[in-house]
Amino acid sequence: MPENTSSEQLRIGFLAALEAEGRGYVGGLLVTSRTGRPLEFQCTTPVRPDRTQEILYGRALRPWLLGELIGGTLLDRVSIKPDLVIVRDPDMLELRNHTEIPVACLDDSDSPDAATPSVGGRRLYFHRDHTSDSDFVSSRAHLVPGQADLEEPLERVQEALTETIRTVLAR
Amino acid sequence: MTASATGHDGADSIDCRRIDLSVSISAIATGFNPALQRVPSVDTVSCPLDIRPDFVPSWKPRRLPIRCIGLTLPDGAEFLPSAPPAQRPDRSRTRPDRHCSGEKQQASRPKRTRVKPPPGAVSLQDRLFYLLQPPLETWLAGQELIMPFEPFPYQYEGIAWLFARHSALLADEMGLGKTMQTITGIRLLLRAGQVRRVLLICPKPLIPNWQREFRLWAEELPVVTVEGTSARRRLLWTMPGASILIANYELMTRDLPDIPEEERPSFDLLVLDEAQRIKNRDSRTAQVARSISRRRSWALTGTPIENRPEELASLFEFINVIPRRAAPDLRQLAKLADEHILRRTKDLVMTDMPPRIDRDAELSLTDAQEAAYRTAEKEGVIQLNELGDAITVQHVFELVLRLKQITNFDPLTGESTKLERLTADMNEIAACGGKAILFSQWTRTLDWLAERLQPFGPLIYHGGVPTRQREPILERFRNDPQAHLLLMSYGTGAVGLNLQFAGYVFLFDRWWNPAVEDQAINRAHRIGQKNPVIVTRFICAGTIEERIDRVLREKRELFETILGDGEESSASLTLNADEIFGLFDLKARGQNGARPIGPSRAA
Repeated sequence: MPENTSSEQLRIGFLAALEAEGRGYVGGLLVTSRTGRPLEFQCTTPVRPDRTQEILYGRALRPWLLGELIGGTLLDRVSIKPDLVIVRDPDMLELRNHTEIPVACLDDSDSPDAATPSVGGRRLYFHRDHTSDSDFVSSRAHLVPGQADLEEPLERVQEALTETIRTVLAR
Repeated sequence: MTASATGHDGADSIDCRRIDLSVSISAIATGFNPALQRVPSVDTVSCPLDIRPDFVPSWKPRRLPIRCIGLTLPDGAEFLPSAPPAQRPDRSRTRPDRHCSGEKQQASRPKRTRVKPPPGAVSLQDRLFYLLQPPLETWLAGQELIMPFEPFPYQYEGIAWLFARHSALLADEMGLGKTMQTITGIRLLLRAGQVRRVLLICPKPLIPNWQREFRLWAEELPVVTVEGTSARRRLLWTMPGASILIANYELMTRDLPDIPEEERPSFDLLVLDEAQRIKNRDSRTAQVARSISRRRSWALTGTPIENRPEELASLFEFINVIPRRAAPDLRQLAKLADEHILRRTKDLVMTDMPPRIDRDAELSLTDAQEAAYRTAEKEGVIQLNELGDAITVQHVFELVLRLKQITNFDPLTGESTKLERLTADMNEIAACGGKAILFSQWTRTLDWLAERLQPFGPLIYHGGVPTRQREPILERFRNDPQAHLLLMSYGTGAVGLNLQFAGYVFLFDRWWNPAVEDQAINRAHRIGQKNPVIVTRFICAGTIEERIDRVLREKRELFETILGDGEESSASLTLNADEIFGLFDLKARGQNGARPIGPSRAA
């Protein structure tokens, strides 16, 4: 469980990755205040698995790469640790197996499970081995403004990653 | 095989012979064929089972090397490891508030205004700083920054544009909220730790307006106004703690050069309101403004070009986008304008704003006015003609002013066709509880009108009114139901004031520049106005007013043709010397008869 659990503080990490053509994956983690103000941003340079890894990891490749490898590295790297990490890609939930910080995925299904907690107007679900994270999120949900959109910061991360790739490629 | 047969009686017998049909094949001795026929020999080899199999090649899972690029934002500083120790988790289960309902998850997403990196931001970290800012709607949604009113979408865009710029010329048409956008931009920059010290320079009459708007839109920001004695002002200028300093142009020009260079204050942001005040780059005001040490420069004006496109160069020099004394051509100015000017007009952004209804009231002079006017014009032209080549534009100007004053009222009898019309209109307006603003270029005319319009509770607001009395006058006009008319001079009342509760504007006499008239009209026709604004321009037929109006209209049309963007309010070319001479048919009499006289031939 996260260290920072002051009753009025909630720092949220938004983790996303995108695939750079022919260069592998670039991941980014944006840590914001509960109102969405950016506190810290870290992103990786492109990470590309080799052919052997692709074959041997098979379907486990993306969770390993995006969750454990990229997500884990970024989470280690940020100085301001989030209390909760939000992802949009279900494969990134794998990160939860390598951290004590709750990781939640935005539920985009048409009929979200009513039991899943809602934060900032979005339903969330969790890694199947860590469903108790739901309790923590429920207890903190009131700190997130009702009009907040949890998907929006992920778009910021995507934009920042695109900008980073563009800049790195231009060098 | 063959056979022969013989019978019992010794007759024919069958004789059999064996013929060998087998064909002999000789195989080439390759060595393989014998091997094929050989019986394989089987042998056994003992194999110890306790030896681990060896895999070649070997492979171990390994972590791919990852390099990170990081950025800690100003808001994150307080959360860095030196921050107070975190508390233990609060595991109490809390029901999310009703605002957190997931019902709106699928609802259409509201509009978002994102901050874009400015063109000048080169480093990745600079660009990321802007890209990672939340949408302004979220930022200003009341969690951190209370906004008294919801800004319009174009205002959000203006704020985002200002926020990201070190050099900006906000040239929105009057009434679209430049003040609010600027204040909010400053507020966000302060909040984001991008600026700490801001200097705002504005015309003196607008200081109370800025103070009021700061209280409205950013009540948490401490605002200090530079005023008082010279010693006190010196103290205020150099006081390090003040976040926002407001001063007028005159004090800026007077005080700052007197402060020793090593003590001169520097600012993170310098804002010039009504920045057309520095359109002449050689003026003292422009020089002092440019000399102020600052990191960001914003200029605000509804009329970036009042007379000549070159005036833009002075503004561009102030916001540091052209070198000192540079003289960009029109093509370069247009390119700079694209990059550094944000201009919106009411037509484009306020489609739901009540209309402004302009009507020209063409009036006939009263008999007394007519007589006085014709006499004055005849005598005046004769005098001008007699001046010959000694004539100057000032001579012509004096005659124009004299004639315009007569169209306002006859100085001998006090007769005034405009007053008659105004009284009629004001009776209607007052009966409906309405309020009107009247503009004139003469304070004397305003005082004269005030005496004659007492039933409408007239209030006077012009340069002769002490500054400290001005704000109470506006307050009274706003709140006193008996005060139906505010009499203002163009010079004092045309800019910056918010009088959108007035539904009627009278231009008792015409200013030389339609941009100034537009500014005056937009005191009432601005955001917050709920009803159409009726603008009445008094023009006396057959007089100098009609001639001036025609010239200004022609110039406005020419300006629109050149710019081609339908910017009516930019059609603000004032009368030049040629045009002022052209108002009269002036001819000097010489030995060879009469010949035209004008500025090029005048001394």
